[in-house]
Amino acid sequence: MSNAKPETLKYVPTTCPYCGVGCGLNLIVSDGKAVGVAPWQRSPINEGKLCPKGMTCWEFIHSPDRLTKPLIKKNGKFEEASWDEALDLVAKKFKEISDKNGPRSLGFQVSCRTPNEECYIMQKLARVGFKTNNVDNCARICHGPSVAGLSLSFGSGAATNPFEDVLNSDFILVWGSNAVEAHPLAGRRIAQAKLKGIPVMVVDPRYSPTAKLADTWIRFNPSTHIALINSMMYWIIKENLHDKEFIEKRTKGFEDLKKTVESYADVEKVTGVPTETVKDMARKYAAAKNAVIIYCLGITELTTGTDNVRSLGNLSMLCGNIGRPGVGVNPLRGQNNVQGACDMGAYPNVYSGYQKCELPEMRKKMEDAWGVTGLPDWYGSTLTEQITQCGDPIKAMYIFALNPAVSYPDSNHVKRSLEKLDFLVVQDIFFTETCEYADVVLPGASFAEKDGTFTSGERRINRVRKAVNPPGEAKEDWEIFVLLAKKLGLKGFDFKSPQEIWDDMRKVTPSMFGATNARIDKPGSVHWPCPTEEHPGTPILHKEKFASADGLGTFFGIEYRPPAEVADAEYPFTLMTGRLIFHYHTRTQTDRSKVLHYEVPENYVQINTEDAKKLGIKEDEHIKVRSRRGETTPLARITDDVAPGVLYMAMHFPNGANNLTNTALDPMSKMPELKHCAVAVEKITEAK
Amino acid sequence: MSKKGDMYYAWTSDAELAKKAECGGAVSGLLKYALEKKIVDGVFAVTRGQDIYDAVPVFITDPTDIDKTAGSLHCGTLLMSKLVKKYLDGAGTQKIAMTVKGCDMMGLYELAKRQQVNLDNIIMIGVNCGGTVSPVTARKMITEKFGVDPDSVHKEEIDKGQFIIEYEGGHKGISIDELEEQGYGRRSNCRRCKLKVTRQADLACGNWGVIGDKAGKATFVEVCSAKGADLFDKAVKDGVIKTEAPNPKGLEIRAKVENAMYKLSDKWRKKDFEGLGEGRERLKKIVKETSRCIKCYACIENCPICYCVECSTKKPYLVKPGEVPPNFMFHLIRFAHIADSCVNCGQCQELCAMDIPNALFMHAQQVELEKMFGHVPGVDMSLPLLALVEERDERDRLAATGSDQIFDIFK
Repeated sequence: MSNAKPETLKYVPTTCPYCGVGCGLNLIVSDGKAVGVAPWQRSPINEGKLCPKGMTCWEFIHSPDRLTKPLIKKNGKFEEASWDEALDLVAKKFKEISDKNGPRSLGFQVSCRTPNEECYIMQKLARVGFKTNNVDNCARICHGPSVAGLSLSFGSGAATNPFEDVLNSDFILVWGSNAVEAHPLAGRRIAQAKLKGIPVMVVDPRYSPTAKLADTWIRFNPSTHIALINSMMYWIIKENLHDKEFIEKRTKGFEDLKKTVESYADVEKVTGVPTETVKDMARKYAAAKNAVIIYCLGITELTTGTDNVRSLGNLSMLCGNIGRPGVGVNPLRGQNNVQGACDMGAYPNVYSGYQKCELPEMRKKMEDAWGVTGLPDWYGSTLTEQITQCGDPIKAMYIFALNPAVSYPDSNHVKRSLEKLDFLVVQDIFFTETCEYADVVLPGASFAEKDGTFTSGERRINRVRKAVNPPGEAKEDWEIFVLLAKKLGLKGFDFKSPQEIWDDMRKVTPSMFGATNARIDKPGSVHWPCPTEEHPGTPILHKEKFASADGLGTFFGIEYRPPAEVADAEYPFTLMTGRLIFHYHTRTQTDRSKVLHYEVPENYVQINTEDAKKLGIKEDEHIKVRSRRGETTPLARITDDVAPGVLYMAMHFPNGANNLTNTALDPMSKMPELKHCAVAVEKITEAK
Repeated sequence: MSKKGDMYYAWTSDAELAKKAECGGAVSGLLKYALEKKIVDGVFAVTRGQDIYDAVPVFITDPTDIDKTAGSLHCGTLLMSKLVKKYLDGAGTQKIAMTVKGCDMMGLYELAKRQQVNLDNIIMIGVNCGGTVSPVTARKMITEKFGVDPDSVHKEEIDKGQFIIEYEGGHKGISIDELEEQGYGRRSNCRRCKLKVTRQADLACGNWGVIGDKAGKATFVEVCSAKGADLFDKAVKDGVIKTEAPNPKGLEIRAKVENAMYKLSDKWRKKDFEGLGEGRERLKKIVKETSRCIKCYACIENCPICYCVECSTKKPYLVKPGEVPPNFMFHLIRFAHIADSCVNCGQCQELCAMDIPNALFMHAQQVELEKMFGHVPGVDMSLPLLALVEERDERDRLAATGSDQIFDIFK
């Protein structure tokens, strides 16, 4: 407006900072402060509708707890410092350690809740400044196996079809996804499909809110996915229901698959699912003209994660369900920018657009573009590997907007490891549990305080718009990296805006070259791949051929393997973990919303009615849950939604689920087994 | 001096403004005049956001910015009333002129009854509304039914029972009836709405009934209150607004359009309410549909009736916190507190994350209650018979009894 008075009620259309659905919303700004969220009906993704988290996402922005000044730990205590002092120290320490110990002595951890531009600039800084590939993002502990598995099966590690496309399907198979809670507005699409009369089958060990919505719910034993999928495929082939033409023309490896599944006719002992039920599942999926698979972390967060994903790939190709509307294999990506963080090359083996560091021609291309020489060819350490390597060989770490002390597996191990570092930088908006272990804490900006983009789970590049200024001396995160690069004397970081960073990325990334800032600025934006400015974008992948080098999809014969740690006499319960609709990750943002805190202020564990009865446990009393790695004391919630012998706990609380979880890794994707570990349960008897 | 019931053809004398506005720009002219003469401190209206499908509320204090609000956007499904309460201090400290659709106006009355907005500080310039179309539905409809790229459309309107678009290279209209039979068209609450001409606002403006040489060049203005008459007369006296007497034939046409709209609304009411069934069957349907609820609270946040500081849906003994879907009590509380005053604005349905037809359920109950008790919400300051209480006083009174239950059902 032309008047000089501060604006009242300015609407700033932007993207929700929480899950990977990428809902549009308006931040309402009055007198320079965010005062509310208003629906943005124009967004084709969510049509103005929001979940409890989206509705309240403005509430933490002006929290008095926000970090407003750089902090430096001196004599064990944090003291406020100037930006110059803090960044000088970071630059000096990283340089010293790198010069002395080489590129493998540094670790860079990028958060999936930060915009693409910031993910890109941070990995560029690690690679250009320190010639290290020790850079990773937290997709590693959610959908790393999707990237790995779908790349192997289809040649591209991303979701094949958009969320809304389930409305074009004839059968929806939801596997290991509690979309209603974890991705509510994608869950809405499933609910809409059901209203339309499209059958929905949910496969989940737990009677989740999503299972409650389904026409059919299949309970199975936790983490026995491969056995169950193989058995479905056995019956599809046995009953001659597979799509021979598709298999013949568009795939390879079918014989390998066929041979493997031959021994999976009856899997009831392993999965708990009667053969007749498996046959029914197989027939329903195979009979549908167009069937879509939606999956999530129930599939990925296991030591068999990549194989689980490839098994779903097998199933879809077996029935020709790839490459058109209403079909596909769709991982629901967890965080707002988990797709983007991977796309931007915040990954230990690829640059932006999944261009491999091991290929000399790729390195040459990036060296030319970035004006450097000697980019590393080696596969860097992954997120949790970096934690294990703290002290040796990693001496210094830069953690950007992550809270490993709560969100990574085996919290006690994480804390012990972080203590071994010579130097730790944490850049965040709140003083998180992880900040305790830092030497320097840098105050960054929230989603409302910077421009940029988040790429959602459907590969749509959604615009994030600055609504207010960061608090105090806090800075927009991309700017912090620009300043640090300057301190390090690096060239190629002279960015004046996130849009300039996007263009720097676009220039070297063929799959996103056509996604110009102007196109992204429009409602609905564009889905990558989008190679040219005229290209319409690609909502549906693998249409005529797969994205693999030979254009074919690949079947893999995969044998079932049990999880790394299974229940035994000493730890007789199986613990599954997951998410609640009312919280996001480690709650640093959501717990500062009044209503979200009211809904779930404290950790709880779901326990079966029979088990509770046997142990004398009552509703809402604190109980002790122990694993080989640690213990926690959540409230007990007694329910038949979980089977006897199985517990369910959300991952959001400090000293909660991750005190118990297992660090055992999926060999292919380095995914820790967050979804499955063995625990013991005890009633707490007060000493009187 | 004009008085309630007087009618005019009116247009602005500001040629620049008239160019940007529709139908002679009388509404824009009046808003600009009210700001210029400091009759109000601000104007609260709607402007175009990212494109013609994106309607955005805007608070304007500089008269030269009024042209931004000129023209109509039928894809604006906003409810302005609750925003006045939430973000403009309920017009408690400043005087505001607002353009209002029927639902905006009704919402303001309901909030005023509950002392959440101060109507004395608000000039309501009503605009005829035949209904609004959700932006995503509109774009889908234009693509699929009109065969036109929605990005090439520069103007849309609802006129003479048709949804009409103007786009690069032509214009096209399709009957609303036909569109709605096929699942496109207006929001379902708009289809049932019977407040098409806002006669309970201060002025009721629109293009219905403007015929002859003034067609498209003047706005039909009906004076509805002394406040409205005062603003209008001053603007006319100062030469900002020009008028002439409406064509008598135009009056007939205006009435005809209004009646046709009512008939259509009756048709939809019959269809929608009958579709719900009765008694136990209706209850069963409501229980089933609401079982998708994910407790986003959008229905409560956006409802122009809800205003309580302590919402009963957040009493742990009534609705257990943290549970999805919540117990049916969550919805019963909403029905009990709102149904007699529901103005069918549709926000609780349009913004429901799980597409629960909340507005239909609430509206169906309101219509039954109106039959029983004769109370019509949203059109004046008369109090409802059942649910209205002064929240603070009532909470204090109940607290003194040692319970906050009117009838302690837990005893």
